[in-house]
Amino acid sequence: MDYKALSEQLVKKCMDRGADHAEVYLETGRNMRIQVRNQEIETVQQAATHGVGFRVFVGGRMAFASCNEFSEDALGKTIESAIGFAKNTTPDENNVLPDDKGFTDVMGLYDPQIGQIPMDQKIELAKKVEKLAMEDSRITKSAGARYSEGEGETFLANSNGLLKTYKESACSFGVSVVAEKGEQKSSGSESCSRRSFSDFEPVEKIAEKAARDAYEMLDSQMVKTQKAAVIFDPDVARAILGGILAGVNGERVIQGASFLADKLDQEIASELVTLVDDGIRPKGLGSKPFDGEGVPTQRRVILDKGVLKGFIYNTIVAKRAGIKSTGNASRGGFTSLPGIGAHNFYMEAGRSTPEDIIKATKKGLYLKNVTGYGIIPVNGNFSGGASGFWIEDGKFAFPVKGLTIAGTAFEMLKDIDMVADNLDLNRSFTAPTFRIKSLQIGGE
Amino acid sequence: MKKFKNFFVEDIPRRKFLQMSLKGGVAIAATPSLMMHLLSCKKQESLSTEMKLDPDLFNRTIRKALEKGGEFAEVYVENRISRNIIMEESKFKSAVFGISQGAGVRVISGDKTGFAYTDDISEENLLKAAEVASYVALGAKKIEPVDVKEQSRDSFITIKLPLEDIADEGRLEVMQRANQAALDYDPRIKMASISYYDEIRGRTVANSEGLLLSDELPLLFFIVETLGVAENTRHMGRERLSKHSGFEMFDMVTPEEVARTCARESIVMLEAKDCPAGKMDVVMQNGWGGVLVHEAVGHPLEGDSIAKKIGVFTGKLGQKVASDVFTMVDDGSLPNFRGTTNFDDEGTQMKRNVLIRNGVLEKYMTDILSAKQLGMERTGNGRRESFRYLPIPRMTNTFIDKGKDKSEDILSSTKRGIYVQSLSGGSVNSTTGVFNFTCREAYLVEDGKKTTPVRGATLIGNCLDIISNIDAVGDDLAFGPGICGKGQSAEVSAGQPTVRIRGINVGGSRARR
Repeated sequence: MDYKALSEQLVKKCMDRGADHAEVYLETGRNMRIQVRNQEIETVQQAATHGVGFRVFVGGRMAFASCNEFSEDALGKTIESAIGFAKNTTPDENNVLPDDKGFTDVMGLYDPQIGQIPMDQKIELAKKVEKLAMEDSRITKSAGARYSEGEGETFLANSNGLLKTYKESACSFGVSVVAEKGEQKSSGSESCSRRSFSDFEPVEKIAEKAARDAYEMLDSQMVKTQKAAVIFDPDVARAILGGILAGVNGERVIQGASFLADKLDQEIASELVTLVDDGIRPKGLGSKPFDGEGVPTQRRVILDKGVLKGFIYNTIVAKRAGIKSTGNASRGGFTSLPGIGAHNFYMEAGRSTPEDIIKATKKGLYLKNVTGYGIIPVNGNFSGGASGFWIEDGKFAFPVKGLTIAGTAFEMLKDIDMVADNLDLNRSFTAPTFRIKSLQIGGE
Repeated sequence: MKKFKNFFVEDIPRRKFLQMSLKGGVAIAATPSLMMHLLSCKKQESLSTEMKLDPDLFNRTIRKALEKGGEFAEVYVENRISRNIIMEESKFKSAVFGISQGAGVRVISGDKTGFAYTDDISEENLLKAAEVASYVALGAKKIEPVDVKEQSRDSFITIKLPLEDIADEGRLEVMQRANQAALDYDPRIKMASISYYDEIRGRTVANSEGLLLSDELPLLFFIVETLGVAENTRHMGRERLSKHSGFEMFDMVTPEEVARTCARESIVMLEAKDCPAGKMDVVMQNGWGGVLVHEAVGHPLEGDSIAKKIGVFTGKLGQKVASDVFTMVDDGSLPNFRGTTNFDDEGTQMKRNVLIRNGVLEKYMTDILSAKQLGMERTGNGRRESFRYLPIPRMTNTFIDKGKDKSEDILSSTKRGIYVQSLSGGSVNSTTGVFNFTCREAYLVEDGKKTTPVRGATLIGNCLDIISNIDAVGDDLAFGPGICGKGQSAEVSAGQPTVRIRGINVGGSRARR
């Protein structure tokens, strides 16, 4: 099927049926997933699928409808549903579609090889990562290993004459294992996701990390309730980045529902902290040539040496704020309206090594896992469950679990006093190891 | 307000998602979201495909699926129509209409499962999906499938005002009423956000055991959030209302009541102080808190982790795992509840399952596969987010059964601690049993009384410790709706009477005085 031509025709169809402006967002793709446990295949799942979403504007009112059937009849009915549904929304002069025909060339988003690699090789990869992770005698059970892949193509057309497409692929493998000692159980898992099969990390590395995460936490202890330094491993970057990202969402800012709403151009964090949203990084898992409504993506510094430099917007919210879209329209697929989101969001690397940071910490918590919601974007409060290692005199003393950490985003950001050089940009949402010099820890 | 409470519980969070996301592990965010989306549909608006499919088509598909071997095959057909309208800043900002349909074909051979799905329910595509799913059983022993025969199941869902008879104006009206009531509650409520969602989901399950079952269920989900603003602080309150029912849901609990309860939380919490950190006694109000057992005990009792022998309750059947006052139930047959269906997504009749009775572990929750692996009964917990997913063991309506204590006595006999009125949600590691929860509305308990509200603290502990440390269970069982995530999302409810748990670690931002 010529989806590009279809997308263009469907925009026209929306206009013929009464829309003043219209956008067609069409996705097509396939996915495959293999799960292995105890060296046997557990599940094999495969499908090819597609769908289309219509965003229509009628007299300044906006509505949306989607379907996953491409017969002429079904498409026509869905368009009518969208147009009919528009009567329910409030007209808004900011309800506009982008007209920027630009296109950012981002390399390495699609690897046609993935589909060519024989199934057996993928099954073997999942079996191998499980086998290697089980080799350590402290590991007693496998919770399963997996390989998954997907590839797809996105088509976006609108009544301002935009017609853009891109292809992307992704593949991933990982394993989860359990370490046991007496009545104690501890789990560890690790995975690796890439745009290309050939860019995977060595299978040994993934297996070893999963096993280590499990057995290292055996014999964990509690510590007393106290204030101490807390070092964030890259695995827990999201605990702090997630709330900041929600806080720079342009719509929340306009609504006054963000703890960062009135902080533009102010110093809100230690000068060691620079946060970037990069939509154009080659091979980036969060990279795209254009955002969820067709605006070209870019690389933007959000927080520059502790100073808040800008918020993120899609087209409608940007118009409301009186500025240009920052290319941050996010899309949860063909079934939803564009929201606002980041691409590859990360904290820039610093100069210390992770070892330097541990060595420089007389007493504190090295965080390996945080549970909870992270920073609450509306008020910046933070509280979470914590586990990791207790540090004494610059060394890991023993594993700890069942602790809590709590504070406010501003205190935490201003107290970041060391940032390491170990940034891994193969993750789309990440930070290097960093230290907060003092945070409330809840224990015994 | 009494009845009102009975319908509420905070959301049950996306357990796995949370764990993955906080670890920074990248899910396949980059792959087309096609593979993870649920949308919806309604009969009279259903598309060109007739949902009433020929039984022989199922027989042919099942035969094809078992052609290479295997002991069980199933075809699951689904269609869904959904409407989601959002009102924010007193404007109807978005209106999203979804139409979806598709079918999934599954083959089980020993411990192996093959699965494929198609958006297009034509014979050609069903047979193709069956063939793709069949490869997993290559070389395995063959069975002769039983021809499907239409069956029926008891229904636990009654509808007075069918969603398809409600004009969109009716939907907008309940939203407007909630918005107005929230803004009128207090001048410090600066914004309300109202989300209205409804869907009609049609299901047909056919399998090689000869089963053929169909039904069509409505679902309503109404969420109010309000932003309270005071000098130097803000709080976003939230209330949810959800049932498998017709539009009469809004007659039983009015949109105004939902909005006022939400606004009340926003205002009360503006006065919140820092919460102390450390171990303390926790009294949890009835209703909301059921999410705690859902996470801390429910997930570890799901048959899949038990069958893999990695779950924290593995091998503990028949053993005393909790205190005598603790009885926990999963019941997918509670009338019109959010977690209720007539049969699960594999066709098993819904029923009441007592999981832990007076502290003794009696039952795990199973789907067809884990029931077979464990050699146990099918409990009606095989659920799937949509035709794009394999069914897995999931909870329905999960609760701590009522006890004999009076809620007033539980509070007044607690000298110091935290009173948790509602939780935002939490997560659990099913292997280690370590769970955490975030409080949405909580107070200090001083000398047996609720006193100062405290900011969103974390509760953390091990599930086995917690259920042993529950020493008081009230007689005021109440429920509420939520969303549960386990790689796929499921609508559930959770409930509990007022309970006291001795010695939970509470994560506040200041040291205890």
